[in-house]
Order: sequence, then C-alpha cells, then structure tokens
Amino acid sequence: MSEDFYIVVIAVLLPLTAGMLVAQRNPYHALVIRGIVGAVAALVYALFGAADVALTEALVGTMLSITLYAIAVRSSMSLRLGLLAAAPCDPDEPTPEEPPLAQPLLKALRRALSRHYLRLEIVPYASPEALQFALEKKEIHATCIAVTEALTPATAQSAASAPYHLSVRLPRLLEIVQNGVPPTLASVSLYRSRQMTTANLSDSPDARHNIWENQP
Amino acid sequence: MNGILIAMTLALLIPIYEAWQDEDIWQTMLAFASIATKTSIMILVVSVLRDDWMIGLVGVLILSVGNASLMLLAHVLRRMNEL
Repeated sequence: MSEDFYIVVIAVLLPLTAGMLVAQRNPYHALVIRGIVGAVAALVYALFGAADVALTEALVGTMLSITLYAIAVRSSMSLRLGLLAAAPCDPDEPTPEEPPLAQPLLKALRRALSRHYLRLEIVPYASPEALQFALEKKEIHATCIAVTEALTPATAQSAASAPYHLSVRLPRLLEIVQNGVPPTLASVSLYRSRQMTTANLSDSPDARHNIWENQP
Repeated sequence: MNGILIAMTLALLIPIYEAWQDEDIWQTMLAFASIATKTSIMILVVSVLRDDWMIGLVGVLILSVGNASLMLLAHVLRRMNEL
C-alpha cells in the first residue's frame, strides 16, 4: 500500500479540481477549469493503466468539448442592442463604427452587463420603424433611441427627463439594465409586444433590413 | 518512485491554486497551460518508471493535444475580447 501512496495523492486531485469547477461562477473561467479537470482526469486514467480512456478524455473531453462550449457561450451570452445609425454609412469603411450615441450610457450599460458576464452587441438600424420591427421579430433584445427621435409621443412623454430611452424585451434583462443605468442617462421600460401597423411598413419596404447587411 | 511523483504532485498544486484564486482569464489560461504540461510530463515519468510503452505513447499524444486545445481556446477568447 505504501508503494502506491502516490496514486492516492494524485487521485485526490480529481475531486479537488471538480469542486473548483462547480464553485466557479464565471462561465469562461469554468471552461478553462474544465480543461484542467480533463488534464488531471487523463493523468489519473493513465496511472490506472487505461491508456485508451486517457487519450479519449484528452481528445474529446478536453479539446473538443471546451472549444465547442467556448463558441456556444460566446454567442449566447450577449445582449443585442439596436441603435439608430446616425448617417448613411460609408461604403469605404467596412467595419461599422459605433453610432455617436452617448458614450457614458454605453459604458454604464457595459459595466452593468459585465457584472452578469454578458457582452453588449451593438446592431445599427436605419430607421425607428426598422428598430421596432426588429424588436418585434426578436432579432434584438433591446432598443436605445434618443427621445427626440422617438416613434410614439407616449414614449417621449414618459422619458421627458432623460435624453435616451431604452426599451427592453425581457423582464430579467430589464432588471439588470435598470440596476446598472442611472436614471439621468436613460429611462428604461419593458417592451410589450403589439401588432405592428402595416401602414408603417408599407412606407419603407426595405426598412426592416439591417443596414450593415445590405453592404457589399 | 513515490518521492518523485509526490514532489511533482506538490508542484502541480501551485498552478491549481493560481487557477482557483485568480480573476483574470489569461492568468487562468496560463495555469491551464502549466497544468496540461505538468500532467503529461507526469504520465511520461510514470511510463518510464513502469517501463510501459503504451502509456508513454499516450503521454506524448496528450502533451501535444493539451497545447493544441490551449491555442484553440486562446483564439476564441481573444476574439471575444475584440468584439
């Protein structure tokens, strides 16, 4: 037994790292620690003589699964915020710059979201109608418009004190945004789905397309 | 054999502690790189001490695969920070 004492010491590492993985809250850190658990597990399997299991753990359990999960986490944990593009975009400039929205607002929003490990993804749209249509179609999670550009007078009235109005589609996201954005920067409200009037859309049939997608 | 492997296990505890307490994602990645290399070197040491070529071959493969997965994950995380 004393000859194989090292096996016991190494096998204890596996529950130790697994406990670290379970206790981790940040999903990206948890992915990296999953890689660590995979490495330790491969070591334990090799010590017990199961070379084929160790190789499978390293190839599939570590390499493939953490790469796929990294892509899945990266594409799912984000808030898509629709904005109005200020000017017709320049075809010479392929990378979309952020529209000249109030930078403090975006900074406050980013800080509030990063507390919950979310990213902020900016999606520019050409017109307020397109913005509202995208929110209705669940292409984006929230819209941010200046009060002067507001589509409905009710929105403009409710947001008289703040220069911007954020309308969020999901209650949980509304909670996060309300806690992070000070009321002097923007007013926040929950967007309730309603039937779009067809008159709005018939004016501009291309309005619902994202303007960046129309570029060559 | 016992002493060598227990010393290596103690050395392995250092990056595990680092991965546990650090907030920066790149520090965690460094700890992952260290652990992936250390565990595969331990597999190689065991294979030499036991004179088992099958485990040795698997140790070499795991050494290279661990670094490959580290590079893939690092690229995904770097692109996430750029967005």
